[in-house]
Amino acid sequence: MTAQRLPTDWKSDAMRKRIARRYGAERRFKLAGLAAVALSAAFLAFLLFTMMGNGLRGFTRTEIALTVDFPASPLLLDPNAITDEALANANLPMVTGEVAKKALGGDADALLSPTAWISIRDAIKADPKILSRTETIRVPASTAIDLAAKSKGSPEAEAEVARLKQQGVLSTGINWNFLTASDGTDPTQVGIWGAFKGSLLTMLVTLLLSFPVGVATALYLEEYAPKAWWTDIIEVSINNLAAVPSIIFGLLGLSIFLNFLHLPRSAALIGGMTLALMTMPVIVIAGRNAIKAVPPSIRDAALGIGASPVQVVFQHVLPLALPGILTGTIIGMARALGETAPLLMIGMRAFIATPPGGITDPATVLPVQIFLWSDEVSKGFVEKTSAAIIVLLVFLLAMNGLAIYLRNKFETRW
Amino acid sequence: MTQEQTDLTIANPKMSARDVKVFYGPKQAIKGVSIDVDMDHVTAFIGPSGCGKSTFLRTLNRMNDTVASARVEGEITLDGENIYAPTMDVVQLRARVGMVFQKPNPFPKSIYENIAYGPRIHGLAAGKADMDVIVEKSLRRAGLWDEVKDRLNDSGTALSGGQQQRLCIGRAIAVEPEVILMDEPCSALDPIATAKIEELIHELRGRYGIVIVTHNMQQAARVSQRTAFFHLGELVEYGVTSDIFTNPRQERTKDYITGRYG
Amino acid sequence: MTGPAILLLLAGLGAIAWVSARARALRLQTVARATGRRDAVHSLPGYHGWYVALWTLIPAGLFLAVWANVSPGLVTQAVLADPAAQSLPLDAFSRSAVLGEARAIATGLQSGAFNPASQALVEPYSAALNTYGVAGAVLALILAFAGGAYAFTRVRPDFRARTRVERLVMATLLVASLLAIVTTLGIVASLLWESFRFFSMVNPIDFLFGLKWSPQSAAMGYGNDDAFGAVPLFWGTIFIGAIIAMIVAIPLGLMSAVYLTQYASSTVRKWMKPILEVLAGVPTVVYGYFAALTVAPALRDLAVSVGIHGASSESALAAGLVMGVMIIPFVSSMADDSIAAVPQSMRDGSLAMGATTSETITRVLIPAALPGVVGGVLLAVSRAIGETMIVVMAAGLAANMTANPFASVTTVTTQIVQLLTGDQEFDSAKTLAAFALGLVLFIVTLLLNIVALRVVKKYREAYE
Repeated sequence: MTAQRLPTDWKSDAMRKRIARRYGAERRFKLAGLAAVALSAAFLAFLLFTMMGNGLRGFTRTEIALTVDFPASPLLLDPNAITDEALANANLPMVTGEVAKKALGGDADALLSPTAWISIRDAIKADPKILSRTETIRVPASTAIDLAAKSKGSPEAEAEVARLKQQGVLSTGINWNFLTASDGTDPTQVGIWGAFKGSLLTMLVTLLLSFPVGVATALYLEEYAPKAWWTDIIEVSINNLAAVPSIIFGLLGLSIFLNFLHLPRSAALIGGMTLALMTMPVIVIAGRNAIKAVPPSIRDAALGIGASPVQVVFQHVLPLALPGILTGTIIGMARALGETAPLLMIGMRAFIATPPGGITDPATVLPVQIFLWSDEVSKGFVEKTSAAIIVLLVFLLAMNGLAIYLRNKFETRW
Repeated sequence: MTQEQTDLTIANPKMSARDVKVFYGPKQAIKGVSIDVDMDHVTAFIGPSGCGKSTFLRTLNRMNDTVASARVEGEITLDGENIYAPTMDVVQLRARVGMVFQKPNPFPKSIYENIAYGPRIHGLAAGKADMDVIVEKSLRRAGLWDEVKDRLNDSGTALSGGQQQRLCIGRAIAVEPEVILMDEPCSALDPIATAKIEELIHELRGRYGIVIVTHNMQQAARVSQRTAFFHLGELVEYGVTSDIFTNPRQERTKDYITGRYG
Repeated sequence: MTGPAILLLLAGLGAIAWVSARARALRLQTVARATGRRDAVHSLPGYHGWYVALWTLIPAGLFLAVWANVSPGLVTQAVLADPAAQSLPLDAFSRSAVLGEARAIATGLQSGAFNPASQALVEPYSAALNTYGVAGAVLALILAFAGGAYAFTRVRPDFRARTRVERLVMATLLVASLLAIVTTLGIVASLLWESFRFFSMVNPIDFLFGLKWSPQSAAMGYGNDDAFGAVPLFWGTIFIGAIIAMIVAIPLGLMSAVYLTQYASSTVRKWMKPILEVLAGVPTVVYGYFAALTVAPALRDLAVSVGIHGASSESALAAGLVMGVMIIPFVSSMADDSIAAVPQSMRDGSLAMGATTSETITRVLIPAALPGVVGGVLLAVSRAIGETMIVVMAAGLAANMTANPFASVTTVTTQIVQLLTGDQEFDSAKTLAAFALGLVLFIVTLLLNIVALRVVKKYREAYE
């Protein structure tokens, strides 16, 4: 036995100082935790803010009011025979350029978007009578003018904008074209509709393939699978598939679907199949958890009144597990919607200027479109890229919000 | 007040509670309890489950602070100082009023590190040699030294349940507390381990003020000199242990002791 | 007869089979019950309906699936046997071009022929297509009727239709779950096969330990010998994914989890947790764009302003930082789970000794949760090194072996994308190298996951 220790003197100065120091460390630690949370949230806020700042401008466009004196223009069109063919043969782009030169002066080609003539065409189509009078039509400005008018452009463009402003012909309108057009070569003419439609078709294929297979797998593993080595292999496969990098699925798609099965390249069908392989494990895992959460007493009750195992599962377990399965499916689909890398592998990065008509047509999807635009040199693509990102994020947020809503609404505590 | 005042008032008690009320949100869990704790006696809290005995125990070293909705009224003093006063430092308080829990909860560290944990955070050891001394002394007092002296580096979680509980008592002793609160320390142990703990409590009496919560009336009778019977948050009866068990004054106490409810 | 029409017809037949079999079963069972043979009634009428409908649909459907693959070959054979095919060119390539054009015209995909030779074949082609189309449809319908009739004769009160139908349901479920194995095998097989072809051109030792990566020079005919040393790629991947990203993600993720679980009020927790989870839901292409557009230029300017030389606008730091942020919620939720798995009694035990909350966390909770946290970090690393878009957009293509975070490095995933995009001929070492890189990536992430899941599982068991 050792010598008796003196009782601790908690009131001593040394001890007081020590405790003060410990409280200091406590405060610093807590602050560090708060800082970590704040920093993460701030990063998210900064990211969203940057995208909003750049992207909201992508939904508007600068327009120039072009006064067209149709009778005096070199346009050869019969107001009584306005057909698509006649309009196509009227050489409107050239005419638009000449009219602009007269009306605006300077280098008119540099002022107007290459798509400006389309506005004039649509105006004629809407009302052929304007061909007999002078009419003011709003046409989209060129990228340089658009940038200079919205924020900051080159000095020459800034000067032109100042000049146009003085003429009172500049205005800002909503860029409907961005929501209805597809990819293009000039930032003023591009839109997301083609990519959006591609995404829809791809997601449709993904959903149709991964949901039934995922639910069936989850049901089998959770309700029927015997304890055997091969069910273990299925389990291990699913858990590993859930963790395999997405680009590997792209390699699989390239090697099997394209090079081995010779399915159509760049098509929504292949994209959907590839993403379905990725989404399936997510649905299986979510599905199994939802099925596991259904209490055994319900199965016992149904079995007890003479239902067969298949009836028990399809009439009792599955309906009760469905909200959980749906939540998992939506989350898996949201992930697939944002996925880019595997789709690059199977050639969905082509320049697609017309929206795909079906699942075997060449298509691209929103995230790939974002990737392609981000590579463009022209400055006008920055706001288009960010605008497309906003659209994508809105959809993802809506899907995740729906998943959270479903989870809260149907969350049952047994 | 339903409690019967006995001649138990102690001059200058180590700890003293006066009219303590505890609320969890709007619900009152403790309804005005007054009690003294001293070094000479082991005090036992008995009563049916949910009667508030553990809750009251946890107010004595402010472990209730970890529950956000808990609120304490009344006065609890340690050496005459109100432990709920703003000037009272909870870290110091808990070092002075140690606690042993229902389930043995050694840290997933070595036996040595389990004992050294408290002295280390409070800076009580002047060096490695001093720490060795503290560890040995604490383990001896906890009656565990002879069983573990050759394997101080083994994990504390590898010990048997009874040894783990004595390790936890040793861990509490290591910071030289003045009062040790024990919350049903034997409920998870077998009879042999229980007997060892009870023996240990006997040995520790006089050096530390000990309060033990138990649902086992025989145990209360064996280890304590004072017994308090709680029911529905009230202190129904408080007295010398032998009196309570042989001659309870309150009908409810008698009912409980004779096994009418609980 | 066209495909959709025959399918529609089959569906109609199936529906008729279902309705009539159900009606028959109902009638027979009513009779059986009326005569007091209740025990002889086995399945509900609906099951009889399904039994017959499935017998109608499945054999015919299977036949059509086979037919769709076989008939084009038969059609071509028939066309080649036609006298008009005598004039076909002999070399295989132009021969198939002519045949293809003729088929396109015959099926209405193309309105006129460029090659007069194909025009001559259109007529035999349409005829053959028509013959085999009708033959297929007739055979399918015969099968449907035969199957349905066979099944229909078996409808009796005591026939165990439910058992049969359920057996099919079970088989379907089993097949669905086997798809997971097929997918895994597909990944392994395709990676192994293409990698095998690659390694027949490039020595695996040179690939795994070579220090020089310049596939472009190999493609330009300088030989494969020392163009495919992947070590710079491995280093770049580790540098960005396992070092820089983790330096960001581990402290921020861990401290966020600690703060939210141990300190924050429930209101703060309720709001901040989903906000952090949003970080994980942002698509990687958005992170990549953000890294390339905003973070990378800012970092380069910063580096230049403090006088660091060789700062690239495609720095490892930009990609790593942004990737780290993406991983934060992942680390945080793993840490959250691990800390939550430490029993409350540990925390109480430490607090009751007079430890402060931070002492309890750093000295008891985190050491106790360490295996779980380590497992989570391994999973996070595996996710980071497999991440593609951020590095494709923000990291460079230069295969540098540098530890300067402001310099440009490249990664495995960046190179896979780089090697496989654009038009490729599929036999060059350059494109096949992507699969060898994919194989390495697959094996490494697989191992990391297996180890991590083991660690986490062991740890969970310790507290159960």
